[in-house]
Amino acid sequence: MDWKRFSFITLVIVLLFTVVVLVGSAAQKPVVIIASMLATTLTVATPLTLGALSGIFCERSGVVNIGIEGMMLTAAFFGWLAAIYMNSIFGFSSMPSLIVGVLFAILSSVLMSLLHAVLSVTFKVDQIIGGTVINILAVGVTGFLNRQLFFEKGSVFGGNVPHAPGTLPIIHVPVQEGVEAICKLTGGTEGCQTLANAFGKVFDQQPITIAAILLVILSHFILFKTRWGLRTRAVGEHPRAADTLGINVQRMRYLNVLIGGVMAGLAGAYFTLESVPSFEPVMTNGRGFIALAAMIFGNWTPFGAWAASLVFGAAQALQINMQVFRDVIPAQWTILQNSYVVGLTPYILTMIILTGIIGKTIPPAADGQPYEK
Amino acid sequence: MKKFYAVITILVLAAMILPACTPTAPDCSKPDVFCVGMVTDVGKIDDKSFNQSAWEGLQQAKSDGVTDWVQYIETTDAKDYAKNIATFADAGYDVIVTVGFNLTVDTAAAALAYPNVYFIGVDQFQEWPYDDDTSNDLPNLAGLNFPEDQAGFLVGALAAMMTETGKIGSVCGTDAVPPVWRFGEGYRAGAAYIDPNVEVFVVYHSDVGFDKTFVDPEWGAATADTMIDNGADVIFGAGGKTGNGAVTQAAARGVYAIGVDTDQYYTLPEAASRMLSSAMKLITPGVAELIAMAKDAQAGGAAFPAGNYMGDAGYAPFHDLDSVIPAEVKTRMEEINAMLLSGELQTGVPPVKP
Amino acid sequence: MLVPLLAVLTAVVVGGVVIVAVGGNPFFAYIGLIQGSFGSAKALSETAVWATPYIFAGLAVALAFKGGLFNIGAEGQLAFGAVTAALIGYALPDWLGTDLPAIIHIPLAVGLGALAGALWAAIPGALKAYTGGHEVINTIMMNYIALNLTSFLLNGPMRDPNPIDLSAQTPEIALSARIPPLFEGLRFHWGFILALVVAFLVYILIWKTTLGFEIRTVGSNPDAAQYAGINVKRTIVISMALSGLLAGMAGTIEVTALNYRHELGFSIGYGFDAIAIALLGKTHPLGVVLAAILFGAMRNGATRMQFLTQIPVDVISVIQALILLFVAADAIIRYIYRFKTRGERVVLTRGWGG
Repeated sequence: MDWKRFSFITLVIVLLFTVVVLVGSAAQKPVVIIASMLATTLTVATPLTLGALSGIFCERSGVVNIGIEGMMLTAAFFGWLAAIYMNSIFGFSSMPSLIVGVLFAILSSVLMSLLHAVLSVTFKVDQIIGGTVINILAVGVTGFLNRQLFFEKGSVFGGNVPHAPGTLPIIHVPVQEGVEAICKLTGGTEGCQTLANAFGKVFDQQPITIAAILLVILSHFILFKTRWGLRTRAVGEHPRAADTLGINVQRMRYLNVLIGGVMAGLAGAYFTLESVPSFEPVMTNGRGFIALAAMIFGNWTPFGAWAASLVFGAAQALQINMQVFRDVIPAQWTILQNSYVVGLTPYILTMIILTGIIGKTIPPAADGQPYEK
Repeated sequence: MKKFYAVITILVLAAMILPACTPTAPDCSKPDVFCVGMVTDVGKIDDKSFNQSAWEGLQQAKSDGVTDWVQYIETTDAKDYAKNIATFADAGYDVIVTVGFNLTVDTAAAALAYPNVYFIGVDQFQEWPYDDDTSNDLPNLAGLNFPEDQAGFLVGALAAMMTETGKIGSVCGTDAVPPVWRFGEGYRAGAAYIDPNVEVFVVYHSDVGFDKTFVDPEWGAATADTMIDNGADVIFGAGGKTGNGAVTQAAARGVYAIGVDTDQYYTLPEAASRMLSSAMKLITPGVAELIAMAKDAQAGGAAFPAGNYMGDAGYAPFHDLDSVIPAEVKTRMEEINAMLLSGELQTGVPPVKP
Repeated sequence: MLVPLLAVLTAVVVGGVVIVAVGGNPFFAYIGLIQGSFGSAKALSETAVWATPYIFAGLAVALAFKGGLFNIGAEGQLAFGAVTAALIGYALPDWLGTDLPAIIHIPLAVGLGALAGALWAAIPGALKAYTGGHEVINTIMMNYIALNLTSFLLNGPMRDPNPIDLSAQTPEIALSARIPPLFEGLRFHWGFILALVVAFLVYILIWKTTLGFEIRTVGSNPDAAQYAGINVKRTIVISMALSGLLAGMAGTIEVTALNYRHELGFSIGYGFDAIAIALLGKTHPLGVVLAAILFGAMRNGATRMQFLTQIPVDVISVIQALILLFVAADAIIRYIYRFKTRGERVVLTRGWGG
């Protein structure tokens, strides 16, 4: 593990939290602020983490994928569309509709990743261009269909956006109750109850957010502890050698790009089925590119990418909190309240990381190179 | 190659067999055909916000029998404003509606160039002279504006009266758009009017591109979440889909939500059960009204209301929560509304961010 | 030459299928598209207006490709160039306390704007050359930084102080900084001619100069370039800077010849369109000019298409993506039309490692 990188990331996150706690402590208990920021950080980081995992699977097998943004957008649209069809046309209740929605989100993203695989593995198109095709195509197709299906009179829904089946419910983990029980044993002060609520706030998350964290662990296990992972990395580092050993390079690349599609699909589902019950044209707003940055930031490792996503999440939590606390902000800190200034933090951090000051970033050796026998 | 020809042939046949799905436009240059065109700001017609509300105004005019034909063009780049307006004017349209303050100058220039066409500029101040020769408003140009600060003031007062924690919040689009800023600051002023000790969180989404600030519901939801974590128990969402994200999130967390623009009790069914009210800015009836006036003026009736035309703003009914709201709060709201309308009470919010 | 033509044709046919699939008539749509882009003097003029920034931005991406670099940040460089040109355009006379003759002011505004774009691109170039940080990520990050920076400047220090101007935009540039139109009454301006001249200069640079040779050598094989005694790092920085210079020109010309100011909401998606244009033009300056005119015509004609048929302008994005798809994967085109050519594959970029 790359201790330098992780300590830097931890330092940045701690710094971002400290700033908010210092500013906000005039109006709010630090525990409440930290719990709220942690929860925001986790949810905001979810699509970034999943997007970065998508990139890791593709690139570990040697296929550069800058089409994550497009895959996420496609998944967000088709997942939402499927959920609405299930709910409004076929009359299913909200839960099964949402589950079908998630499945269709994944399916549509996998189809996009299949296109990427066909382009870059079979046709050996320049992989960055393949990704660009996916990004442009996704914007056009989702924007066009969204209009045709929902806006025009005489369209399927007659110009009305139907009632969406809502969002995926929070999965309750009884951590809060646990802390409360301990509180009772130790006398039950008010401070202890605040702490219990804080724990509840952090641990009560929606399914995709939880899945993202589990997938980070699973991906790490697959990539570094299984034969599949070994083969994937071999194909991405030295395809010729892998080929000599009897590994089917093309097949490994196809499958890993498709796995990447699954991850990006889940990330897309987060937007329309977990975060808010609606779809907007280009609603991913460039988060696919940030995910890509997180992947590089994290040196193509699942835990590294997760940590990097958390930095981006924390930066957004900082930006929101700074505006929320704008009435209690000390005069000399008002610069932080300017959202443009704070908004720059993650991008500048990424560029600093890329310079290699904090540990050299090493991509898979054959990343981006088509393999020819 | 053969395959390709086959595809082409099938396509040609399909296109011929297909009935003309789009109704053909009548000849708008004829004097007895009354046509209304609309040019959007950079943004889509289906934005469920000001562009769509204005378009519904055109459609209402059509279903009321005022116009024979309505049509829109979506602007994809700011440099096309003038071209898109001219497309309608050259085709002989009688009224052209332009939406958004970014089109202020281009609309006025077109009003000067096409004196026989009536122009309605939504969210545009159209009261100063552009032409050196005239010191009056252009007779064929009306800017449709709304007292957003008053609507914001009303729901701010309502929020301040309904909060139990003494903390309320508002999630807005970018403060670079004056109507949004007026909503946000009006909300702040209204809350302070009721109780200066109420803590008001107002957050603007200004750190993304102009085209994104109103369509980022995920950010809206995350921001509302942070406010609720900090104790806010009323959330006002003002800024297209970004605000809608905040409203649905507030309802999901079980606090009070306040909508914007229209009575969002109807447009956001997910949040209906927790919807306290909405700060209304009635674009649709305002546009329809002005179109009817233009038709009247063209026929030689009453003059077109050139210059600035103030549309209606206010607060929506309480719907599901009607029984929860104490009678004295309702009376107080009516008093404040009456005072704002009479001018006895000023919001103290300037039209533009200083 | 054949592959791009067939790619465009195929994309148009597939786009037609999409239009049929949603119940539109592709023939009316394409007739509208052609009428709107080439049907009249005005239409031709507007197509040229649209094509101008596309030519510059497309050349920018193409030049970077020649140097083995993928400049995905044309958008940011364009915005930064535009802001700088606007600043020079409106503020320079004030700073100097005197009016400038156009012969000095225009080159200053255009030149400094272009330099700003060059600087913006040179940063990721230098990071690539000296630290190995990949230019794709760095230019994307620089895009976001430019976006935040322009939002900040246009809402704050550079905002038009005129109180009647509500938009977040700079003041209008001085008359002496404006590039004049070629014909009275049309927006067709000298910037288009300048774009053609610059395209020719880029051709000379790439194929007839030592620097061009160095850029191409570094692009095709950096190891060989190193061995041949070329300063690879310096060449990378220069390639990026030149690329940024061209992208900056795109923004600069929009400000000085068309909008006369810089505003938010402008320059949406030029960066990605530029990539498609560079690829469609096979990274050759002449090809880029033709591709830019095609894209400009499609964007411009889309207005008329929507006016006639109400087919959403998004269909243009679908067609453009398909064009890019077929150009990039020319094997698909070869398969459909059953012809064989030399198997020249477009390999423009290498992996992240550089």
